[in-house]
Amino acid sequence: MPRDYSARLVFNECIAEDIVELCFELTEAEPWGSAPNPARGPSPLDPFYKKIKRVQGACSLPGFGAEPQGPNPGQFAHLAAPGVFLRRPVSIAGFRQDENIVRFIVGIAGEGTRNLAAKRPGETIKILLPLGNPFPSIPSGRNIWLVSGGLGVAPLLYLAKTLSGTARELRAFMGFSDERSVFGVEEMRELSEMTLDVGGFITDKVSGALASARPDAVFSCGPLPMMGALKKICAARGVPLYVSLEERMGCGVGACLVCACAARGAAGYKRVCRDGPVFDAEEVVIS
Amino acid sequence: MKNMSVELCGVKLKSPLIAASGTFGFGREYDEFYNISAWGAISVKGLTDEPRVGNPPPRIAETASGILNSVGLQNPGVDAFIRDELPRLVATGVTVIANVAGSTVESYTEAARKLSDSPVAMIELNISCPNVRQGGAQFGASPEEAARVTSAVRGVCSRPLMVKLSPNVTDITAIARAVQDAGADAVSLINTVAGMAIDARARRPALANITGGLSGPAIKPVALRMVWQTAKCLRIPVAGMGGVMTGTDAAEFMIAGATAVMAGTANITDVMAGPRILRELEEFLDENGIEDVNELTGSLILN
Repeated sequence: MPRDYSARLVFNECIAEDIVELCFELTEAEPWGSAPNPARGPSPLDPFYKKIKRVQGACSLPGFGAEPQGPNPGQFAHLAAPGVFLRRPVSIAGFRQDENIVRFIVGIAGEGTRNLAAKRPGETIKILLPLGNPFPSIPSGRNIWLVSGGLGVAPLLYLAKTLSGTARELRAFMGFSDERSVFGVEEMRELSEMTLDVGGFITDKVSGALASARPDAVFSCGPLPMMGALKKICAARGVPLYVSLEERMGCGVGACLVCACAARGAAGYKRVCRDGPVFDAEEVVIS
Repeated sequence: MKNMSVELCGVKLKSPLIAASGTFGFGREYDEFYNISAWGAISVKGLTDEPRVGNPPPRIAETASGILNSVGLQNPGVDAFIRDELPRLVATGVTVIANVAGSTVESYTEAARKLSDSPVAMIELNISCPNVRQGGAQFGASPEEAARVTSAVRGVCSRPLMVKLSPNVTDITAIARAVQDAGADAVSLINTVAGMAIDARARRPALANITGGLSGPAIKPVALRMVWQTAKCLRIPVAGMGGVMTGTDAAEFMIAGATAVMAGTANITDVMAGPRILRELEEFLDENGIEDVNELTGSLILN
């Protein structure tokens, strides 16, 4: 169940040009885990990604064993940024259940995200989460490919973490427009067989790889032209593709109907916040 | 024990606070966060006789202290609402107001006739949606047209009838008097203020629909002025809205003359806005030694 949490910033680091990693400790709402960790120390100030290995297995995975707890990869949060009217929807890039710490990777695109990035550790904001539908759960032993463009790798880093122990083969294709915007490469390399492209078209790399291999599913997040091209490539090979979409949002919970994305055929519009943000690529028009 | 209940054209509401149409869907989403019967009533997403898909995105633009929207009356149609949404909504115990829009007088009367036979407590006639070429605003822009559609719906509607007024007119009181004389039991105001946002770098409108409706704190002064002007010249009650974000905002609308107050945009920025604003209004009454919330209505001191 989503809740509007008071969230205390515990980590803020610039990881690429105009991209910050923010980690918040969720407080003032029931924690996800059964009991709070009594041994909690001052460690949250350490970089989140360095601690990922340590918590391997602590986060319950979608579709594996126990009921999923806490946010799942593909879900997003609605962050109350200082100084602007609307909340900012941001995909969840990681979650530590033992300490109720949620991780975001935020692109600084305007006043709201700039004010978020200016928050200092110890300061609090309101965060509504988890929202939307996660990437579909996948049985273990499958071949899964992840394809990202730019900031779109953020939810896929979380997804890679949950899939790395259970997928038979996990491959990641990470595209960036230029060297200054590259991040998450080392983290993804530890979790998957990783292909990096800077300045070109990552979909060309995917297309080339598909000539000699066929994954069970492809999960993607990135710019619409990239995902549009990927949809054609995957459709031609009959590979299921799931995409995480972005749209200007209002309420974030499905009531206000502003974050519309065109549904395939004459089915009108779907709500990105509630029916997505992860969609079967065949369900939606990507343009 | 203080009294929070009010009566709006014969319908008793447990509090004066109503969820404004278009920001609350059919209550389904917010009911996951709190019991939506905390509201005095909820006015559902605008309904048309036939389903509508709405406008293309982007449908929202942020402004200083507000938002522009151009959803364009996306809704599943009155029949689907009555069949798929209303039974669940009624079961929550909340008082339901059906917001009705249309493109012709006949489409208004057809929708209102169907809803008259359903368990909705009241009908709110939307003659003020700024985001569709035909869908209301043309009826809300002149006293004659407003009276014509109100009178036609009055003839087929056995439920109390409230008419939602547009601020995008020269004299809102003339429209208000016209719908009162045509048989309206109450008026609600204001709908959104027609507006526009531009992405200067792209030299394009921020909304795909080019123009949209402005809501939020940005329009509160306009709304308060219109509620005050309208309430003092009508016999029928007024439901006031426009940028109500706090309990004190709600009190201000009542002092200006409103019998009930609607909150809309607040739901979008704060998922818990309903119970929060209600609690804040109760605290306002306590702090000011007021026993009955009705004491606020029209209590503006002018000298």
